[in-house]
Amino acid sequence: MAGSHLSHDEFFIKLAALFMTRKDKDHGKVYLSQKRLSYGQDIPQPTEENPFPDLHIDSTLPVLIRAHNGKSKPKRGEKTKLSTVVNTDDLEAFYGKYAEVCKAGMLALKPRDRTKRKAKSKNKKKGAPAS
Amino acid sequence: MPYYTKSEDWLQQSALLLQAFPATTIVTTKYHIKPARRIPKSEKKSTSAPTDTDTSTTTSPAKPAAMATAPTAAVKPPRGRLVLKTYCPQSGSTLKYKTSKAAEVTRLVQMLGTLGRRMAALPPAISSAGAAGEEDTAMADASGGGGGETSGVQTPATGAPGPGPAQQQQGQSQPGGGKGKKKKGKR
Repeated sequence: MAGSHLSHDEFFIKLAALFMTRKDKDHGKVYLSQKRLSYGQDIPQPTEENPFPDLHIDSTLPVLIRAHNGKSKPKRGEKTKLSTVVNTDDLEAFYGKYAEVCKAGMLALKPRDRTKRKAKSKNKKKGAPAS
Repeated sequence: MPYYTKSEDWLQQSALLLQAFPATTIVTTKYHIKPARRIPKSEKKSTSAPTDTDTSTTTSPAKPAAMATAPTAAVKPPRGRLVLKTYCPQSGSTLKYKTSKAAEVTRLVQMLGTLGRRMAALPPAISSAGAAGEEDTAMADASGGGGGETSGVQTPATGAPGPGPAQQQQGQSQPGGGKGKKKKGKR
């Protein structure tokens, strides 16, 4: 399982490709998820004295990032699954790049509506020479 | 399973959930594209109303009118939605936020980053972005202003310091207007 995680660069390239498969299409989904990577991190089992060992961890833990296109059994062949592990040192750099890739990929969202602003500025320009 | 109207509220509650269940809480971002509705309801009503009143005389001219509305609707691009979901299977709680604005994406991913810091068991105080975000929510709550305001102020200040005040005013007014619309449009 751990061997299948991609490097960050590879992850971003494939994520961009995953978004691109939905470009100019009128349907489709891209799921992104993130959680703490607690598998194989030597977190002790909960005991009666310490029922929540997660809450008192001395060291930091990596974050697991996953992406998939939501295809399940009937379309198993089309399913794309990506995952990567981000260590704590790389978090900020990763999320910076992540934001860029997401912004570039999510093209079907409403762009900022500038029509009103333009109309306003035009009115101002028209009004200024008159007054 | 509440949908929060402000992304800041979602962030704050998600951070609290994450604090309580750091190991099991998962944050999912769903980006989905749906075809645009063929005929908006308002148009449908407006076109159907006259045909009902004078059906006997103008059935044939009404049809071209309906046909004319169809291409304009077809031109509409498919609409995308972004849904952020924080789910903790241990407590069964789900927190959601949805948007369809491209302008919010960067800010939302930053929020994912602050949550990521918490997941990594890093102290949130070190994170400048997280601290700023929390301060912003506090300020926004105190002033009673919309959550969109914070972004409007921040982005011009960092992005374009050159042509300052005019842009800032526009930036402020723009998200505020959007906010009002959103509330009206809500179910």
